[in-house]
Amino acid sequence: MTSQTAATRRIGFSRNLSRWDIKVSPYLYISPFFLSFAIFGLFPIVFNIWVALHDWDRRLGQGDFVGLDNFTWVLNQPAFWTALQNTFSIFVLSLVPQLILALIIAAILDQNLRTKTFWRMGVLVPFVVMPVASAMIFSQVFGQFGLVTPLMHELGWFSDVDSPFFHNRFLSHVAIATMIIFRWTGYNALIFLAAMQTVPRDMYEAATIDGAGRARQFFSITIPSIRPTMIFVVLTMTIGGLQVFDEARVFDGAGTGGTGQGGADNQWLTTVLYLFNLGFGDWQDRMGQAAAVAWLFAAVIIFFTLLNFFVTRAISTSTSKPTRASRLAAKRLSEKGRTR
Amino acid sequence: MRTKRKAIAFTAIAASTALILSGCSGGGAEGGGGETPETLTVATWVDIPPELLEQFTDETGIKVEVNSFADGASAQTVLRNGLASDGAGLSDLHLVELDWWTEMMALPEDWVTLPAVEDRWVDWKVTQGSVGDEIKGYGMDIGPLAIAYDSTLMEAAGLPSDPEGFTEFIGGEDATWESFLDAGRQFSEASDAAWIDSTSTAIQAAINQLPAAFEDPDTGDALPLAENDDVEELFTMFGDAAEEGVSAGVGIGHADWGAGFQARRWATVITPAWATGIIAENAAGLEGWRIANAFPDGGGNWGGSFFAVPAAGEHTDAAVELADFLTSPEAAVSMFLLNGQFPSQLDAMQDPAVSETANEFFGGQETGAIYAGLAESAGDKAAGGYRGVNFAGIQTLVMDGIRRIESGSEDAAAAWASSVAEFDALGLTD
Repeated sequence: MTSQTAATRRIGFSRNLSRWDIKVSPYLYISPFFLSFAIFGLFPIVFNIWVALHDWDRRLGQGDFVGLDNFTWVLNQPAFWTALQNTFSIFVLSLVPQLILALIIAAILDQNLRTKTFWRMGVLVPFVVMPVASAMIFSQVFGQFGLVTPLMHELGWFSDVDSPFFHNRFLSHVAIATMIIFRWTGYNALIFLAAMQTVPRDMYEAATIDGAGRARQFFSITIPSIRPTMIFVVLTMTIGGLQVFDEARVFDGAGTGGTGQGGADNQWLTTVLYLFNLGFGDWQDRMGQAAAVAWLFAAVIIFFTLLNFFVTRAISTSTSKPTRASRLAAKRLSEKGRTR
Repeated sequence: MRTKRKAIAFTAIAASTALILSGCSGGGAEGGGGETPETLTVATWVDIPPELLEQFTDETGIKVEVNSFADGASAQTVLRNGLASDGAGLSDLHLVELDWWTEMMALPEDWVTLPAVEDRWVDWKVTQGSVGDEIKGYGMDIGPLAIAYDSTLMEAAGLPSDPEGFTEFIGGEDATWESFLDAGRQFSEASDAAWIDSTSTAIQAAINQLPAAFEDPDTGDALPLAENDDVEELFTMFGDAAEEGVSAGVGIGHADWGAGFQARRWATVITPAWATGIIAENAAGLEGWRIANAFPDGGGNWGGSFFAVPAAGEHTDAAVELADFLTSPEAAVSMFLLNGQFPSQLDAMQDPAVSETANEFFGGQETGAIYAGLAESAGDKAAGGYRGVNFAGIQTLVMDGIRRIESGSEDAAAAWASSVAEFDALGLTD
């Protein structure tokens, strides 16, 4: 009697065990990511709200509860608004050329080249260089005695200023955008390349038979086919590009002892650099304000990412109307299929 | 395929566990520790003569590991973050620069109180290195202010180029900032080069000479910048000169600074003793740099550093011993010979190795003797003024104003107005 119940109990237990295995194990398998995310991602984000609502000294820690004072303080700082403008200016200046260059490089790499892997690895080399290292090299290039400035002076451009890239707001943005383009173009080109290689070769063959040139094929076949990838790249570029920091901080030689605070007139002060200066710079007691900047800026980024998402999606769906070339290519394809 | 996936999963778990564990440990170290450790770590951005460390190892049996930083700012960042995380990642002994001393001493308990050493330093160095009555740092070097100049450019401009003549040219013993800048105007007329690398550096030196530049020493509160007449006067004086083009607008640490030396773009540089080595490095290969024997407004002090022992360290007793050893007069002499830092130790200042060693870069001048003389003539001003928690931030606002004039984006009056507006927006004086 007792042994019988023990047996059923044992069966019940092992059945339970396998049921738990099915129900619980998957969660255990994925838990490392969520645990580390909770500790290193979620906790700081939530804690940041707490910091943003208090006076906060770097060393002494939490001070008085101040409610939304930190937010109003930040919104009243002219430097905050300048930083936002600079961030967008640098973002736009780096995004557009980067997209175009990456597409061209990817299209070239997509051709039948000799030593393919060599070229593909080659475009990734700038990405391997530390951002700070490349920024320091570029700040020499754009410096008063660097490569570009003496040339510009010779041509009579900006000859009234010694160091136009460290003085003129727009030029400093161009210089920083150049560093970003240098670093990220190769990376994006490889993503585009991966997408381009999934485009069926038949379409190109058909287009060639129809007499479409390389350029025509690029615009009518390649670009429409890799649209989803373009949306992905634009979204990640938006998030990454708005957070520009390293290049701006090292631009005037911080790290070797320069100020690294975004220029005397805040010409190249970006939002993240402003946050850094508040929380970790000259001021000891502005951690709360820095946290408030982080939240305000997060809202801005989310807004623009959503905007970007809807705009790019609208573009990619509205062009479902086939172009003449793609219609012809499709026709060819189907004819080809029929003759087989 | 499956094993590979397993391996990846395992690595991921291992990595995240390691991350979690390392996040929890660290910072657990409690102060104290009378035992003799095997090694001590020192964080510094200046070179320590290796034979000095060997001597310490011979005497005590403790090895010394140097955590070397490229510049003071990097050392500052590491120290700042270490203190904020209860001592994680700190070395046993840290070199602390005067410019960020106040910040690091925000919580005096972070630092071990050091036993007094009688008659080792000039009095004011001990005062600077103390919080109240407690000594928190042993002085290493001080930064008596001097002016280095390029005698080649002076000669080319047809102006006095030998040290005595140059000293007279900027106003001699009674030189003021006004006479120094007037000399600059005269130089600018005769030369294509700028008079000074940056007037923002010059105003920083002048601010260092004020007894209480930005804050009330009694309360620690910031003074309204708009009503700060002393600073406004300095600002207008240096701003006007910058507007007239006496400055190249490239200060120490700027990306263009080294290249500017090589292109001989300026004739003078404000040079605290510790900067002599930095200039020799940046102007390497150039002949003709000299040091003048007088400083505007009677001289002063800029920077200089201390060795301090974080209380979170495991071997604080041994670290105090090392701090004592590294700030002995003998150690200070060998530091001077290696890097040019001028000693804060009385015996070291008198030492013939300091006062009589010819500096090769500066044309064989005995820089030690020159700085000793300048430190003496600076008198009380050498101790520097009051620095509260907001000193560094406000100083940056003022220096940025001068930089805007240098780059031509604003005139002196407009630049002062916008610096004041930025200060007001901070709400420090509400």
